[in-house]
Amino acid sequence: MSAFIATLRAELYVARRSTSAWLLVLLPAFAVVLRATIVKLAESGQAARDALLGGGDDMAVASNAWGQFVDGFATGLTLLSLSLVAWAAWSFASDRDTGALRHVLIRRSSRMHLVLAKLCTVWLLALCALLLLAAGTSATCALLWEFGPVVEDGYELIGSEEIREEVWLGLRLALIPLPAALAFGVLVSVLAQSATQAVTAALGISLALDVFKGVLGEAAHYLYARYQPSLIDQSYLQDVGRLVRGYSDVMIDPQVLALNEWVPLPQLLLFVMLALLAVRRKPL
Amino acid sequence: MFEAPANPPVPLSVTGLHKRYGATTVLQDLQLRVEPGAVHGLVGLNGSGKTTTLECILGMRPFDGGEIRVLGHAPDALYRSEGAIVSIFDSPSLHPHLTVRQVLEHAALLCQHPVRSPAEVEALLGIVKYSGYRIRELSLGNRRRASIAQALLGSPGFVILDEPFNGLDAGGVDDVLDLIARLNREEGTAFLLSSHQLPYLERVCSHLSVLHKGQIVLSGAVTELFNAGDTRLRVRCDDVVRALTLVQDLPGVQVEDTREPGLLTLRIGQSNPALVNQTLVSKGILVSELAPERPSLTSLFHAITSADPLQAPAERGAA
Repeated sequence: MSAFIATLRAELYVARRSTSAWLLVLLPAFAVVLRATIVKLAESGQAARDALLGGGDDMAVASNAWGQFVDGFATGLTLLSLSLVAWAAWSFASDRDTGALRHVLIRRSSRMHLVLAKLCTVWLLALCALLLLAAGTSATCALLWEFGPVVEDGYELIGSEEIREEVWLGLRLALIPLPAALAFGVLVSVLAQSATQAVTAALGISLALDVFKGVLGEAAHYLYARYQPSLIDQSYLQDVGRLVRGYSDVMIDPQVLALNEWVPLPQLLLFVMLALLAVRRKPL
Repeated sequence: MFEAPANPPVPLSVTGLHKRYGATTVLQDLQLRVEPGAVHGLVGLNGSGKTTTLECILGMRPFDGGEIRVLGHAPDALYRSEGAIVSIFDSPSLHPHLTVRQVLEHAALLCQHPVRSPAEVEALLGIVKYSGYRIRELSLGNRRRASIAQALLGSPGFVILDEPFNGLDAGGVDDVLDLIARLNREEGTAFLLSSHQLPYLERVCSHLSVLHKGQIVLSGAVTELFNAGDTRLRVRCDDVVRALTLVQDLPGVQVEDTREPGLLTLRIGQSNPALVNQTLVSKGILVSELAPERPSLTSLFHAITSADPLQAPAERGAA
């Protein structure tokens, strides 16, 4: 265990001094703040125009922060998961390219510990990025809009407590597949012949899964990528974005929510096991 | 001065190592042993299998047969030696975005029993002024110095170096050779050096192995290997004709060359040059030069690799 901790500490030492790791942590939050600012500017412009033309019927719904919070988080998570998958794919393969992992293997760590340390490092980076994303999104949305119930024509469409519950559920369900996605990146990293090949393959496969999950029909429910916020988003967070805006036509299938809860876990275990098996015989 | 323990573990023992790349056999029944306290040179032509051998020894490449033990550990468990085994690779193998100091601090995190601080090893390798430079900003020679520096944070019992002199200037080579000799002398550290730079190996190695076509065709202590070779003796004297008749009667002595006036070149095998001198002087011949020329590592290496030793590897006399 002490060897694993030492390896993890060494990995974190390198990650803390890596510009790419810092970008990875900062970029999603920065993108969400930028997005919210642009949306607010566009809204303000629209509101000013509507005021001049005598419109502005939907202002109560549009100015609620929850919708922007969910949209911002979904954007941030999409960016975060793609960039982290790329980083996970780059991490092991890059160290093999430079030969840096040889020193770790000879001095302190087994191959298995090294792969697990890489995985934990990328998970910790994801945690940091998520915390910053949550803080950035909350603060920006609170600054630019108001968190509160959705009210239209004096009638409360959805209360604050209910919104919070839905948002929390949406975020939880959106985060469940993330460890599996990152483990997939590490698996590709172990299997690839070079860092370039690893990043290209991991991003290519992730985007291909995103594109093809729509044509897989029911079978897509058994794929972790189905539940991730992504470019072609089918995650529950997308539904939450509509729910917290007061839309009543959102169809929620409890069975799909249940699948969202457990489908990513066996795939996470499968990816980790495959990575550990592959690294045993891999020339390094 | 280092005092050796009573039963020191064997730094390296390779028995019957086989390695294939597809249908091509790269290493075939390779035997290699590094004795405690030895500085062992591994030499071979390009493509002879040196790097593959080191990669198998270090657990970086799976092999198809045979047994390897490094300080008693299997190649895939070298980390269990708690830092007693370190390696310096052909390419410096460092994180390019870290500074020299950060590379050393990173290595210190992996070192279970550090005996030197990063600042101390920087001073030892003469790279203090590069401490704040990123690895990618350094010349190959200084990257190699940084690579060697991180290996010296602990007190390794066995160091494996692949082409350690590549990219080093003359002063750098001298520093590394001095360092190897000093660590070997003061701390009893055993070394396995793989290099093309035969004259450098000759300066520092106590033992040598020649790898050719995937087999060790010659191995042993340097003194034994060179003594086993044919020594030439240059004799300059005032009466070459008489000297010629006298030395021809000596056992094990053959005349090789008499073309240069006043100079005899003899092949004396294992005979003592003093015997030739005594024979000539006792007969009143004045000897003005008596120069034995032992075979160099380069000549030995060329003699082996220019033949086809796989025809009869046993005759090459693995020690």
